[in-house]
Amino acid sequence: MPDIQRIDTGDDIIVCENVKKWFGEFQALRGISLRVRRGEVLVIIGPSGSGKSTFIRTINRLEEHQEGRIVVDGIELSHDVRNIAAIRSEIGMVFQQFNLFPHLTVMQNLTLAPIWVRRWPQARAEAKAMELLERVGIPEQAHKYPGQLSGGQQQRVAIARALAMEPRIMLFDEPTSALDPEMIKEVLDVMQELAHTGITMVVVTHEMGFAREVADRIAFFDFGLLVEIGPPDQFFRQPQHERTKLFLSQILHQ
Amino acid sequence: MSAGRLASPSLPAAHLPPMAHLPPMEKPPALTAGPLAWLRRNLFSSLGNAAVTVALAVALGGALRALWRWATQEANWDVITRNWRVILWGRYPMEQVWRPGVGLVLLLVLTGLSLAAWRRPAPTRYRGALVLAWLLSPLALGLLLAGFELPTPRTIGNNLGYYLFRPDLLPVLDAEWRGPTALFLVALLAGLTRSVQQRRSWRIASAIVLALFVGLNLPSAFTIRSGPAGIPLPAALPLALAGVIGGFGGAALGRRLANLEGLRRWLAPLWLALLAVTLLVLTQFDVGRPEFDPAAVLVPVQPNLWSGIMLTLVLSTVTILLSFPLGVLLALGRASRLPVIRLSCIAVIEVVRGVPLITVLFMAQVMLPMFLPLELTIDRVIRAIAGMTLFTAAYLAEVVRGGLQAVPREQLQAARALGLSELLVTALVLLPQALRLVIPAIMGQFVSVFKDTSLVAIVGLLDLLGILNSITKQREFLGTVREVYLFAAVFYFVFSYGLSAASRRLEARLGVGSR
Repeated sequence: MPDIQRIDTGDDIIVCENVKKWFGEFQALRGISLRVRRGEVLVIIGPSGSGKSTFIRTINRLEEHQEGRIVVDGIELSHDVRNIAAIRSEIGMVFQQFNLFPHLTVMQNLTLAPIWVRRWPQARAEAKAMELLERVGIPEQAHKYPGQLSGGQQQRVAIARALAMEPRIMLFDEPTSALDPEMIKEVLDVMQELAHTGITMVVVTHEMGFAREVADRIAFFDFGLLVEIGPPDQFFRQPQHERTKLFLSQILHQ
Repeated sequence: MSAGRLASPSLPAAHLPPMAHLPPMEKPPALTAGPLAWLRRNLFSSLGNAAVTVALAVALGGALRALWRWATQEANWDVITRNWRVILWGRYPMEQVWRPGVGLVLLLVLTGLSLAAWRRPAPTRYRGALVLAWLLSPLALGLLLAGFELPTPRTIGNNLGYYLFRPDLLPVLDAEWRGPTALFLVALLAGLTRSVQQRRSWRIASAIVLALFVGLNLPSAFTIRSGPAGIPLPAALPLALAGVIGGFGGAALGRRLANLEGLRRWLAPLWLALLAVTLLVLTQFDVGRPEFDPAAVLVPVQPNLWSGIMLTLVLSTVTILLSFPLGVLLALGRASRLPVIRLSCIAVIEVVRGVPLITVLFMAQVMLPMFLPLELTIDRVIRAIAGMTLFTAAYLAEVVRGGLQAVPREQLQAARALGLSELLVTALVLLPQALRLVIPAIMGQFVSVFKDTSLVAIVGLLDLLGILNSITKQREFLGTVREVYLFAAVFYFVFSYGLSAASRRLEARLGVGSR
């Protein structure tokens, strides 16, 4: 798209500066400044209501930020519909509740956006979809409806659906929180495999094992603030902030 | 955001191996239900209930027996059998009744194709074509039933020539200037072609055309005619001037525009247009007069001749086909973020829903003509369809709104996150799910449309009920009101029940993907 102005942000694919967001009187984000490098895996943790989910939803404009600026891959997130469309086509998103389209088969879920947004021919979209279904390990489910799959399978389809648009960034909003315990691992395995491909990932999760193993950096959110950010080793061994220590002590010593 | 599990230990993979010694499943307890058990439980559970059951059965049996005796012995069914043509087609010309028949077959074929397409995953384009066919079907039905005329090719040509060039507005060239003008135009384009088109074939072709025009003008070049201020002038002079100026002008123009990318693509159309214009110049714009000389493709049958069961079916199908898209649009408009659209949709929906159908029908018959110019008279059947469509669309809009609200917001967010535009989110994710949820209510609305068509008899249209009413007033068939109304009741019941049954099957079929 030649009309869209791109800003040079160097090695950073996501740049957030002082992002603020209110729901009515309640301030959900109190000025988040954060940069994500190309190919980085950033894990965001924090107690519920800390604004971590709201934050990643501002990155692809599912929630509108009211102050501050967000630049994704050089495109400024503004009210311009073309900018929003361009950013959304570079970002894939995976939700807590999967949000597959129940009236479409798995295959149709995967090919919908490539056919209608990217204008791919059906054959090409289906070939890509099969490749992705094989990658997430469920090619045999292609012609079933989402309602016929288990939660873990649905979430893997949702990851494949987001990848079908060939995004540069993947956002994960608590991808394993709605899953039965025995299905969490199959989804985390897919995410871990994905992290090794060099795609940029921003993951909101409560899976500390995944964070420790896969994350390049971990960010801790509380009360709509970015409290602390750092590599996993430092983050778990020597947390700087009292709030971080408190949070870690609560979730790690059960 | 839910509290969620804060830390979960890593768990083994999902698929456990099957158990080694699994006992077989047991059968459920023996059935306590059966026809006899049901009778006992529901009709004869106590002495009092048994008495009531017997009394009602006797009363019902007596009534049915009386009805049966009347229907087989006393009733005069001649009124139906001798009038069946009129009941079926009304006053539609007998030699044209194949047209409503073809219309019905077309609709059935379209229905069959649609059911097949939605039964299994079909290519989106194929379904899109079907939706388009349904949207266009009311127009096609109208053309088929009312007939239509098309102008002959000659009149199309004449009118096109006349209105494109309006010779009465253009200064008509004197005979001696037509040759130079045509030559000038051809030379201009030949020069242009030479400077922008490198291909040899083009240059040669344009040179040939130019030479042709030069040759055409040669005979007149040797005549002498009077130039400006009466000075005698050889005709060759203006011709040569026109050719030279045109040629060099075109070449210069071409060089100036040479870096224009799309110009080359326009050369062929330019040449075609030029040849047409040149011919017009040479023929002094004698393209004929505008006129309308229609050739009937299908003999016109005025809608006021449509009547009988045919009119009932036409009214209901066309109303259904038109009101469904209109209702969906109204519902989407009501959910719009733009206040003007939202408020006007709410106004239409609420006003129409606040008025009885019969009032809407009277308004359509009496008031619609008042808003239209005098020359434009709309047939009464069309007015009735307009009224019923508006009425049904308002109710459908509320039904569809219920469906729209029942689709989870997260579905829309997921669709937006994939990069779909708002239009695509609505068409591909929101509407398919919303409409599926409200199929039973929509089909119920369609059944009531079918029955409500009988109200048009009150505003003087001869639908099934209107025709039957008029038959009972013939001297021959006086006193056959009971037979006639029983027939109408059976007809409406059979069709309405058929629609309901079809709706249940449709629900079952489309429910495949439901959560």
